[in-house]
Amino acid sequence: MLQIHCPYCNETREEEEFTYGGEAHITRPLDPESLSDAEWGDYLFFRKNPRGLHHEMWNHAAGCRKYFNVTRNTVSYEILESYPMGAKPSVTAETGDKN
Amino acid sequence: MSEAVQEKMTRESPVVRRESPLHYVIDTEVSPGESKDTKGCAVVLREVQAKGYLTLRGNSNEASFTDGVLAALGVSLPTQPGTCLKSDDISIYWLSPDEWMLTTPGGTEAELQARLRENLSGHFSVVDVSGGQTSINLSGDEVHGVLKKSSAYDFDELVFGVGRCTQTTFAKATALVSKRADGSFDLIIRRSFADYIFSWIADAAGEYGFKALREI
Amino acid sequence: MQRNRLATGGRIDRQQSVSFTFNGKTYQGFKGDTLASALLANGVDVVARSFKYGRPRGIVGHGAEEPNAIFQLGKGAETVPNLRATQVELYEGLDAYSTSGWPSVDFDVMGSLGALGRLMPPGFYYKTFMRPKKLWMTYEHFIRKAAGLGKAPLEADPDTYDKLNQHCDVLVVGAGPAGIAAAREAASTGARVIIADEQNEMGGSLLASTHSIGDQLAATWLVEQLAELSALDNVLLLPRSTVFGYYDHNFLAVLERRTDHLGLTADKGSRQRMHRVRAKQVVLATGAIERPLVFANNDVPGVMLASSVSTYVNRYGVAPGTALVVFTTNDKAYQTAIDWHQSGRIVKAVVDSRPAPCGAIVKAVQALGIAVITGSGVIDVVGKKRVQAAKIAALSDDGQEIRGEIQTLECDLIASSGGWSPAIHLSSHTGAKPRWNDSVVGFVPGESMQQERSAGAGKGTFSTAACLYEGASAGVEAAKLAGFGDGLVSFVTPSTQELPEEAQQALFLVPHTKTSSRAPAQFVDYQLDVTAAGIELAAREGYESVEHVKRYTAMGFGTDQGKLGNINGMAILSKALGQSMPETGTTIFRPSYTPSTFGAIAGRDVRALFDPERYTATHRWHESKGAAWEDVGQWKRPWYFPRGSESIHDAVNRECLAVRNSVGILDASTLGKIDIQGPDAAEFITRIYTNSYLKLAAGKCRYGVMLKEDGMIFDDGVTACLGENHYLMFTTTGGAAGVLAWLELWVQTEWPELQVYFTSVTDHWTTATVTGPNARKVIAKVCEDVDLSAEAFKFMDWRDGTVAGVKARIFRISFTGELSYEVNVPAHYGRHIWEALVSAGEEFDITPYGTETMHVLRAEKGFIIAGQDTDGSVTPADMNMNWVVGKTKTFSFLGKRSLARSDSARENRKQLVGLKTLEPSTVLPEGAQIVNDPNEPIPMAMQGHVTSSYFSANLNHSIAMAVVKGGLTRMGEVVYCPLADGRTVAAEIVSSVFYDPKGERQNV
Repeated sequence: MLQIHCPYCNETREEEEFTYGGEAHITRPLDPESLSDAEWGDYLFFRKNPRGLHHEMWNHAAGCRKYFNVTRNTVSYEILESYPMGAKPSVTAETGDKN
Repeated sequence: MSEAVQEKMTRESPVVRRESPLHYVIDTEVSPGESKDTKGCAVVLREVQAKGYLTLRGNSNEASFTDGVLAALGVSLPTQPGTCLKSDDISIYWLSPDEWMLTTPGGTEAELQARLRENLSGHFSVVDVSGGQTSINLSGDEVHGVLKKSSAYDFDELVFGVGRCTQTTFAKATALVSKRADGSFDLIIRRSFADYIFSWIADAAGEYGFKALREI
Repeated sequence: MQRNRLATGGRIDRQQSVSFTFNGKTYQGFKGDTLASALLANGVDVVARSFKYGRPRGIVGHGAEEPNAIFQLGKGAETVPNLRATQVELYEGLDAYSTSGWPSVDFDVMGSLGALGRLMPPGFYYKTFMRPKKLWMTYEHFIRKAAGLGKAPLEADPDTYDKLNQHCDVLVVGAGPAGIAAAREAASTGARVIIADEQNEMGGSLLASTHSIGDQLAATWLVEQLAELSALDNVLLLPRSTVFGYYDHNFLAVLERRTDHLGLTADKGSRQRMHRVRAKQVVLATGAIERPLVFANNDVPGVMLASSVSTYVNRYGVAPGTALVVFTTNDKAYQTAIDWHQSGRIVKAVVDSRPAPCGAIVKAVQALGIAVITGSGVIDVVGKKRVQAAKIAALSDDGQEIRGEIQTLECDLIASSGGWSPAIHLSSHTGAKPRWNDSVVGFVPGESMQQERSAGAGKGTFSTAACLYEGASAGVEAAKLAGFGDGLVSFVTPSTQELPEEAQQALFLVPHTKTSSRAPAQFVDYQLDVTAAGIELAAREGYESVEHVKRYTAMGFGTDQGKLGNINGMAILSKALGQSMPETGTTIFRPSYTPSTFGAIAGRDVRALFDPERYTATHRWHESKGAAWEDVGQWKRPWYFPRGSESIHDAVNRECLAVRNSVGILDASTLGKIDIQGPDAAEFITRIYTNSYLKLAAGKCRYGVMLKEDGMIFDDGVTACLGENHYLMFTTTGGAAGVLAWLELWVQTEWPELQVYFTSVTDHWTTATVTGPNARKVIAKVCEDVDLSAEAFKFMDWRDGTVAGVKARIFRISFTGELSYEVNVPAHYGRHIWEALVSAGEEFDITPYGTETMHVLRAEKGFIIAGQDTDGSVTPADMNMNWVVGKTKTFSFLGKRSLARSDSARENRKQLVGLKTLEPSTVLPEGAQIVNDPNEPIPMAMQGHVTSSYFSANLNHSIAMAVVKGGLTRMGEVVYCPLADGRTVAAEIVSSVFYDPKGERQNV
């Protein structure tokens, strides 16, 4: 069971309080009608599923009900940061794991 | 007819019963603050007298909102995560950066809502959720044992003192938990889960000696 | 007669005799005994038969490592399998059984087949019993019986279990010298400390130690330390508590056995308790497990671990034999010779594999007049049910070959020691990769993956003094990292007067005069009967990875997880493959460290508390009317209200007729309800639903369908405009939480510029649906301030009003197709309003109805239920509901683009239709598959399936809703449902609206 820091409650809470929201930073196309089926399909179905750092969305369902983002290592399950919606991650695969 | 007047009529109508969620579960009725048959019980559950509950939402970064709340309630909105202001009259609990739970003596919820609406402008939301909640108070020497059996949140004195509140998992439901100065804990729970939560607590507290009271 | 009980000594209470039975025979032991020490005291040699070969087995160890003495306790509902006798505390009336051996452990059919063992190399089962495949189930039954895996009780467990969530700054696992030092130092900083130990007494190795610490006996020192720890408010001591799993983010599971030492069931409170510990920092002071040496017939009862012999003598006052031979590769086991000697029994010899040991303890043993046979090994054992003699041969300097003659030394006990394996199990659970250490001759914990550090023997540090210092340092470090103390170690190591040790020899498999494959069996894994020859065979057959060899030979697969055998097995494999131990590596330990009960894992989440039951405010009224219940999500909803001896069929028919002919009342309080406020509320709702709410006026309601972005229906319901920028959205009962999260998702992530707030009001309202031709008359009796006329209060309108003295909201929406009023009041008035409506309806014989009738009535109307007729793969068009999809909406609402995807827009998708069975009384089962041609050979081409199906009393025939490929263009065609019971039911495709197709009845 993970422990996840909620940036809104400013507390680290048990995983059971949260629901998983999938890959973060996927933006809904502004004009869906202008997209081909393949482009729309990319938005709908295709996810990175990386081995290593993953930016993902969580919802503090049993707490403040807010969505936020987490940078998690999918190998070690280490959570490197939590950040609010609209913010950018400070740790990325490019900047590297702090390890 | 104003909402407040109608609410008052409803309250005073002799044919109308206001039933708390644990009305059919807890037999021992007491008046507020009164105790009965709790000797030897290291955990006492008390369903507190019916209150009014409002959910308030708004942007606490906007002065018009916080000033409006101050004007309507006479106290400032708690904006620190996980904090609350409690009094016998109105209590305010932080739920999220833009959401608060307000409690008020039962029957005054419409009046309070009207007062908030008078003082607030712009984008906000006030919703009466009085029918959907109840408050239970847990006291006794073994209250921490029950909390540890029920929630993974750390309610240790060092972490969770008076003035803190948290909405968290409680058994397989949720509860809004806060602490009183006397060391007891208040739980605001949803009506539909009240029977389950009551059964859970009664079972968890069984080994310590348990008594349930209902304030009327 | 406890013939092996020493006259004095041990931590047992000789004043308290305890009577117990083993395999039906009664014995006596003392309070403080384990079942194992009591059996040894009574001279019980054979306690089990081995897994594959049925060989007699005795007690080998004294703790979690025990591979043979694994018993069933008690009978009936209370019975517990898989308990290690070495960890079972003796109590009055304890009743234990061997699970292996048939008909008994003393005479075993499998064992008496003698040479059978030769026939069972690794992979035996795979190779022998898999052909013909279909007989495997038959074979397996007998194999399991012979293997003795224990029995699960068939009755419900009479005990209770619970779980406690714990938080601490420092969790110390193990209360031996290192653990106690760690806990003391951490606690002194003010940190919250938990120290857990699996034994009944804390102290670990100190409990059987004859050493002193400082100027005290170890036992005295221990008492003082524990007293000081117990007195601290910030320390929780958990004895009899096994930390059995180490999970992500420093979450550790601890199983506390609260009453197992008193009997099989707990009188009061829970029998076992799981502590779910979130620790900021962890100190693993888990100790080490002695490693047996692998030699021929090393499983004969009377071959034990050296440390176990010492423990039985020192801690329990039991000498499990008379004449001892110690066989060792290291200095430590010499202590066993000293302990045995001091107990007044005979030490025949210490056999040391090292060519010239001359350490201090060797000299001390020699000084006692005990023979030390150096450069030699025990290569074989004489005896079947008890050791009779040891065969000893001189070995080459590296211990790998036999040099010289074999001598036979009579004895009845062989204490073997191949060194000590640090208990790295918990460290392994975290994913830390164990490292081989040549001087330890064992794997030590790898680089930490979590906030933990090891100390003491668990890290390969063996002297008591060094363990104390290392533990203290670890405690200080852990506290500092958790935010307590200055991190400076001020601990002064007490003098322990331990003798310096010489290097041990890395010896695992002891050679025999014959090759392993021809020598008598040399056991590596006692529990699963894996031999050295078996591992070598696996290597010859091409297995190279240690993980594969584990699975092929079953080494380490038992409930002991190879605590004794794994390192030996890996060493034998390494040698067979001609590589080093680090190259071979180790298998990975996983939770549980020792078996844990399902009861403790379930805790109190059982029976009525298994899952929340949500009740409406009128639940007790329904109960008093004898409602049968249906679970809808977590809600209990009345399913139907049987009168007298009515069947469900009779009751539902009656309820259905009552609604269409007069009036019925339904508790619809469970529907999700979301209050929506804000200047952009209408815009937001319009983006979420397929239709538009921009022009919905106050006082009006509209039905909508919600799609996921893939275009598939996920919820539906009515939304009412309550006033300016204020709406109330109804969701399905099961969808309520999901829909609210969905709304929040979009406003929080994609459209934060939209000003709109959502608040769940599901629990706030009681909703009583009054429906049927007489509904208006019923409402009129209790509501005076609303003009109920058809002109003033139309279908899909809502009004504020007072109903039976309570301020209410009344919605004219209908799920039955009849004239309907949904009366909403705050739930604390729910019961009041419900009873008022029922009394008002009495003259019309108002009929309370449940979800089954609701389902039938809506199916008569062809109304879908999201989640029943839809399954996440149907679009509005598939449901024949294009009328609900806005064609002119400017914003591309959620899911819209997907409706134009090639797959969503293709022909021949499954579409919602009605089915009318040709035989009118036959009700199709829901889920029945639909085919075009009943005589088509299997596999038949599936055309769709039945989603809803009922008998309609109003129509006097069965009705069904189904999704059928191209169904909307196939009206009048006959399709077939081949059923599991062999029948094939023919049905005609019809419109899904069976009743009042023009929808006139709800508009009156």
